[in-house]
Amino acid sequence: MFYRMPEFNYFRPRSLKEATDLITRLEDFKILAGGTDLLIDLRIGRYRPKNVVDISGIKELSYIVDEGGIIRIGALTKLQDIVESPVVRGKLLALAEAVEQMGSWQVRCMGTVGGNLCNASPAADTAPPLMVYEARVKAVSTRGEREIPITKFFKGPRETELMRDEILTEVIIPYIDGAGTATLKLGRRNAFTLSVVAVSTLAKVSNGRFEDVRIALNAVAPRPVRAVRAEEFLRGREVCMEVIDEGSKLVVKDISPVSDVRATAEYRRDMSVVLTHDALLKSLRRAGFAIGGE
Amino acid sequence: MEGVMVGIVEDPYRLMEKWLKAESFMVIGKGVERADSLDKALGRAKFVEDFFEAGTLFVKQVLSTEPHALLKGVRADEALRSPKVLRVITAPDIPGENQVGYALPDQPLLAEGKVRYYGEPVALVVGNDVDEVLKAAELVRVDYDPLPALLDPLKAMGRSDVLIHDEAAGNIAFRTKVRKGDVSKGFSESDVVVENEYRTHHQEHAYLETEAALAIPGLDGRCTVITAAQYPHLAQSIVSRVLGLPASKVKIVVPYLGGAFGGKDDEGPLVAAKAALAAYLTGKPSFLIYSREDSFLVHPKREAAIIRYRSGASKDGKLLAIDVTIYHDTGAYANRGPFILWRSTVHASGPYEVSHAKVDGYCIYTNKVPQGSFRGFGNPSVQFAAESQMDELARKLGMDPVELRLKNMLRPGSRTITNQVLDHSVGIAEAVEALAKASGWGRKRSEYGGGRGRYRRGIGIGVAWHGISTSRGVPDWSNAVITIERDGSVTVRTGIIEMGQGSPNSSHRQIVAEVLGAPVDKVNVVFGTTDAPDTGATHASRGTSIGAIGVFVASAKLRERLNSLAAELLNTSPDNVVIEGGEVRVKGEEGVKLRWEELVREAYARGVEMSATGYFFLPKGKFRDDVGQGQAYPAYSYVAAIAEVVVDTYTGRVSVERVWPALAAGRIINPVQVEGQIEGAVAQGLGYVLMEQLVFDGKGRIVNANLTDYVIPTSLDAPEVMKPVYVEDLFKYGPFGAKGVGEMAFIPIPAAIANAVAHALGVRIYELPLTPERVYFKVRKVRGGPS
Repeated sequence: MFYRMPEFNYFRPRSLKEATDLITRLEDFKILAGGTDLLIDLRIGRYRPKNVVDISGIKELSYIVDEGGIIRIGALTKLQDIVESPVVRGKLLALAEAVEQMGSWQVRCMGTVGGNLCNASPAADTAPPLMVYEARVKAVSTRGEREIPITKFFKGPRETELMRDEILTEVIIPYIDGAGTATLKLGRRNAFTLSVVAVSTLAKVSNGRFEDVRIALNAVAPRPVRAVRAEEFLRGREVCMEVIDEGSKLVVKDISPVSDVRATAEYRRDMSVVLTHDALLKSLRRAGFAIGGE
Repeated sequence: MEGVMVGIVEDPYRLMEKWLKAESFMVIGKGVERADSLDKALGRAKFVEDFFEAGTLFVKQVLSTEPHALLKGVRADEALRSPKVLRVITAPDIPGENQVGYALPDQPLLAEGKVRYYGEPVALVVGNDVDEVLKAAELVRVDYDPLPALLDPLKAMGRSDVLIHDEAAGNIAFRTKVRKGDVSKGFSESDVVVENEYRTHHQEHAYLETEAALAIPGLDGRCTVITAAQYPHLAQSIVSRVLGLPASKVKIVVPYLGGAFGGKDDEGPLVAAKAALAAYLTGKPSFLIYSREDSFLVHPKREAAIIRYRSGASKDGKLLAIDVTIYHDTGAYANRGPFILWRSTVHASGPYEVSHAKVDGYCIYTNKVPQGSFRGFGNPSVQFAAESQMDELARKLGMDPVELRLKNMLRPGSRTITNQVLDHSVGIAEAVEALAKASGWGRKRSEYGGGRGRYRRGIGIGVAWHGISTSRGVPDWSNAVITIERDGSVTVRTGIIEMGQGSPNSSHRQIVAEVLGAPVDKVNVVFGTTDAPDTGATHASRGTSIGAIGVFVASAKLRERLNSLAAELLNTSPDNVVIEGGEVRVKGEEGVKLRWEELVREAYARGVEMSATGYFFLPKGKFRDDVGQGQAYPAYSYVAAIAEVVVDTYTGRVSVERVWPALAAGRIINPVQVEGQIEGAVAQGLGYVLMEQLVFDGKGRIVNANLTDYVIPTSLDAPEVMKPVYVEDLFKYGPFGAKGVGEMAFIPIPAAIANAVAHALGVRIYELPLTPERVYFKVRKVRGGPS
């Protein structure tokens, strides 16, 4: 009440069509989904848009549907709904683990998955799990719709592949059978905290070797990243502690952390290795492959 | 003759002694429910902000964006362009004195001539629209002529070319000293000597409710200020000084506060004065509230200390000498820095007897946010150093840390480092023995610690003492007015405030009900107001101790009158009258003779005065400031905590799993409130020692002036807090012997956790906070190379 909010024109479309029509003709706008990031950014002056388009009233964009083979999550699905979804808990454990560590219950009841992705913070917590699941996001405009692989979605800090007239409407996540996944997050406290680094991993084993392995991290590069060199090293190799040790260390080749008020670059680099290692072991355990000596 | 009789009968010393000896209680020591529980649970309780109504003027501060600069001018024309902006107030507009320093006269309410820290209030923008005022505040142009900024206290103290206060001879605001025995003799007799430098950091209070005040001009030039302050009469005196009004024209009301922790002791009177200034100059009700960011930037913080500490002991574990130098970064203004430094200085030994002690303290100006009052008041940092030293001595001596402590612990008859003889109320040794037993110390200390592998477990102890009341000869007193109304309900008026701790709403009601024999629900406490007599501040853990002597004594006086009256009515002697829970009986006789309401009605009918004050002026001993010897405090409260931690050496994360607390704090008036204090203090102490940290940039600006990047613990970071050990070592001047708890609970927590981490790792970190990053790099350094 006693904070200064910059002045802007406020729009509240009631359907996706209305929203895409509106932003096609609107100049200089920001989209408000849950508002948990945007309102703070407006207050601190990160953005000074002329217009704010509040899409939170578009009920058609809130859902979690298991279609068998793929899971669709509407962009305006609240983070807390994702935490509480048996579908997500059952099939997308790494996502459930990432989201339950986001914000507080209050923030999760406002914030949405689409908002977290479009805000494109380098520390976006839904990004690493969606990157290891190789999710796609659907972008809709008056010109039509298209799908963008999540691994290509983030261009840089607060920058995405979305065109200015596009709205992200859906996250599409394919099943991955027989794989174990996990997310580990290191923050400055045990809850309600921004990532110093978070890591999601996926591991699939056959004949004692990594058939598939995926590693994604946030807060250690200008955007959430896949650790492709570590993945390449691990793929096809025997699943044993030495290989995991060595592979985990390679994540530093795909990250470029900076020092800030939350952590130094050096600490982030070292923690990326530790969390990758821990998350891989957890994923393997979930894939039914326990490494001795752990 | 009768007057003399009343004088003896109502002598506070006699009454306090009489009640101290009581053997059984109706409500004292019980978990009586607070009067404000339901209102707070239902959201009905009113805080300052709840008094803001449409039509009230809104005030916003303009803060300095320079750490050290000459103030060339303030240009308000752009800001005043909005018709809804009425005034931009700067120092020359102040009708009274622009001087609000508490310990030294060095601090203006609004910057004058110079700014001395980034965030210092320069101007107030006043208007009748919140948004317009907030916008206008950004349009006020302040012209600065920058001066070199001094940010490092150790460097600042040696500089005479740059003076933060031109009128001072240097940048050392204040010095303290203790000289006991002969330290060189003590060290030469020592078999082991341990010497280290400790560094502690600022802490932000991060109270739920930021600073706020609503000032309302009244009849006849009066002004009422509803404000978030910890001492109504101090706020009154500051407001009256700034406005140039007699104190009697200023009324202060402190409603419920959303936490204070000392921060509102410093800032409360200033926020009141700023709102009052706006109201005075506009003639309209004016409301000022700090944004969270302004609160971070403006108000004083827990002291950042550098402590150089040398301790010597004999082979058999007798502490022989300490040599301590304390540097406090007091920031731009002394504020209460000199008092904080005194407390730190005279507690430097920890709760131990030592024959030879030398302590030097320096309170040093820098161009940073001022140091101020915060739960523990200079003591947690020095107890952290002292307790780290005890562990280091124990390690060198090959002795158990608890055994070493018990060997040196203060006991009745001991002499402190100021050569004060402790004549009574010293229960800490017993408390530590019980605590060690309750926590399984002996076994855990040998099983845990210095381990290998990734996760390492440790257990550590912190023991502390804390002088109650003001230091040295600084006057301290208590007071209250109690009226038993005609209907038997009881009105208590006290200046003690309700900041969440519960003193007026639980312990005061219990004390009054116990002494009067009235039912607890008949007792209503009107708190936090200058309509009550000056009760002193609600700080220094005094709300239920020194601050409650007033209600204790006033009710004891009334009880004497009621007993005399009842004796007359029932044909017995006053000593035989029993009043309990509103029922009047005669000792040894069956049945209720009178009900409370009947007795009160009789008192009014027969001319027995049913109002009394409870003034009590604490006797103080002699103290020599030049050598720091004498009676430092009337008595001490004691506390200990044992913490059990697990350290993840791969990430540096410390989990505090369990904390065992012990108090030798005199009578426990309300155990539920005490547990609340302990649990809150454990969380606050844990935050301080593990994660909270203000980050300053090269301009002395706080970079993380927000709750995103200044992290405080959540419930998921909190450990299990075990049932407290209480040793009720009664203090003769405390109400029923209570010494106070609020700060005590905090003081040993940093030391206990840090000692547990040192035990787990087998290596000590001398600088707080023990962030994961700091712990990780320390372990990595010791291991030699990355994981």
